[in-house]
Amino acid sequence: MSTTSSPSVQQPSGSGESLLQSLSRRRFLVVTGKGGVGKSAVAASLATLFARGGADSLRGRRRKVLIVEIDPRENVHQLLAAPPSGGDVVRIDDRLFVQNLKPRAALDQLVRRHLAMGLLQRRVLSSETYQQLSEGAPGLKEVAVLDYAEHRTRERGEDGLGPFDLVILDAPATGHGVSLLAAPLLLSEVIQDGPVGRRARELASFISRPEALGIVAVTLAEELPAQEVLELFETIRQRLGRRADALVINGLYPRLPEAWEEDPEAQVAAGDAAALAWIRRRRINQREVARLEASWNGPQALLPLLPLARGPELIKELQQGLAEAFGECCEATAAEAMDSEATEVGEER
Amino acid sequence: MSETLNRGVGSKAGTSRGLRDPLTVVVGSGGVGKTTLAASLGVVAALEGERVLVMTFDPSLRLKDALGVGEEARESEVAVALPESAPGELDVSLLDARRTFDRLVERYAPDAESRRRILENRFYQHLSGSLSGILEYMAVERLFEVAAQERYDRVILDTPPTTQALDFLEAPQRITEFLDSRALKIAVREWFDSRGQLRAARRLGRLGRRMERFLDELIGLDFLRDVSEFFRAFGPLYDGFHSRAAEVQKLLRSPRTSFLLVAGPGEERVPDALFFARKLEESGHRLASVVVNRVHPRLDSSGGKGELPWGPGSGEGHELMRWLGQRDHQGVESLRALLSQHPLVALPMMADEPTHLGALEVLGRDLISELTQE
Repeated sequence: MSTTSSPSVQQPSGSGESLLQSLSRRRFLVVTGKGGVGKSAVAASLATLFARGGADSLRGRRRKVLIVEIDPRENVHQLLAAPPSGGDVVRIDDRLFVQNLKPRAALDQLVRRHLAMGLLQRRVLSSETYQQLSEGAPGLKEVAVLDYAEHRTRERGEDGLGPFDLVILDAPATGHGVSLLAAPLLLSEVIQDGPVGRRARELASFISRPEALGIVAVTLAEELPAQEVLELFETIRQRLGRRADALVINGLYPRLPEAWEEDPEAQVAAGDAAALAWIRRRRINQREVARLEASWNGPQALLPLLPLARGPELIKELQQGLAEAFGECCEATAAEAMDSEATEVGEER
Repeated sequence: MSETLNRGVGSKAGTSRGLRDPLTVVVGSGGVGKTTLAASLGVVAALEGERVLVMTFDPSLRLKDALGVGEEARESEVAVALPESAPGELDVSLLDARRTFDRLVERYAPDAESRRRILENRFYQHLSGSLSGILEYMAVERLFEVAAQERYDRVILDTPPTTQALDFLEAPQRITEFLDSRALKIAVREWFDSRGQLRAARRLGRLGRRMERFLDELIGLDFLRDVSEFFRAFGPLYDGFHSRAAEVQKLLRSPRTSFLLVAGPGEERVPDALFFARKLEESGHRLASVVVNRVHPRLDSSGGKGELPWGPGSGEGHELMRWLGQRDHQGVESLRALLSQHPLVALPMMADEPTHLGALEVLGRDLISELTQE
């Protein structure tokens, strides 16, 4: 792995703070990636780190964090051993909250908050025509989701909770995550005037400012997800004029024993399917990590595939991996661990 | 009409053992390897002498390379170069919502002027690429086109990855309902007068002006104007949409269509697979078999504690592989028990995605032989 991938040389501001500290100071983080790559687990791990100040580089600084999940099938609560949200904000502890947000509910809130509502307006809103039209209005629902999340970083919600220091959005798995991030621009082209159009413009400018909004992309070191994340980086650059803050490469098979270096497959018994699977998946991982690194020189975390079911124990391990990769070397061991995994992937290539 | 359709796909089919039905629809969550399996089934059927079409959405670069097709497959079916001795034919088409929609408009619009009005409409441009379910609906339209051509013995249809499991099956229904809906009837009316004001709003006076302002602020009057124009320009196409959607629904429920459900490995994926199976059943579609894909091999835990069967430095890998093997085995067993009325096949994790036709053939033959044994 090249030295450029070390987080210590990728300071966003050059202020000497770690990427982890920098991310924790944003108001809004969007965690994006293809379905099944562990996006929710990364979102939950980052949220837990920030809420509990769990990394040395955070120096115990704790933030009040809300994870917003956009997926009809709830997922995040399971990782944090919390009850399902069913649409509401669920409190996990003093500083950690989770919500499964229905885009339609966000849209209703947007309308309530930004438009004067009389009887007539209420009737328009409940009409089937409006329901159908708002489905087709480009970017309207996505803007509503962003509006909701951003709003919760500034004010107390209708549920009496908040404001939150940081909202972490676990972006929808379908389509490229960029359709969410590009929605405000799109909508503001369609609606020139009025509060919704103004709000879309506001959000578009908010998204273009890395100091306010962080983008963390998650992928597996496998062909399709890696391809998709590279396309995502390119679209973010073109459409939003900025770049993602970090790349998390998740689910890596462990390194092979040194003794296998020359020709791994010759070292294991013929027909030892499990050993062969390990060797070959590791090989794919290396190939795809190399491909990702050829196009991405920003901060990245390499997280192992772990023999753990989805739950708090997994989150604990991932937190540690993220803290080591993105927290600047407050303890030497973190940097060393990072370096050793880095050298190893590089050497095996 | 539906008879024509049924004859259209599969008039000479039935040679590939294990694939009895001329239309196979491959369903499952994203990232489970549906597309590769669909392609591999297509390769085998063509090598056995059938004329086969594989319709797919978003194949990896590697799979496109393996099949030797590129972006041109978005425009029309592209023939895959099979060995010269191969008795059959294999075509691949990549489904692209926007392209299919454009083609429909080009084909069915009554004249050049309405065609231009639709294609240049801003609402259409957003709608055709972004409306949820449009990709699925377009797959259905494409299926209709293909079935009507009567060119193929067998069609293997890969479905788009969605979070809402069976959007694809519901798309024809949804589009039919939409076309019948009051919303559309309202939308087709002329909303705007020659001065570009909302008709209803003008009639309603002050109240109307308030409503107009409200709509303008919410979604923009310009946008509404585009919508209204679009629906009026689109009007002549409605009937065709309607009848085609109904035909394709019949085709998907016909006894000659079967569904192949592909599931990811591991206990955590079990609910996904169950959800698909239940939905298919409820909606009157026939689930022929379940494939659990990418199953890690099982490692027996013989050998005493502290011993490393793979030698020094293999501890972490061994523990992980054992855990994965166990997890996937449990997943397969749970599904087998829960879906006991359907044949279930577990396919081992592959070394890599197939990079050439030969590898696809091997995969396809493995799958078909497992399916026939079940």
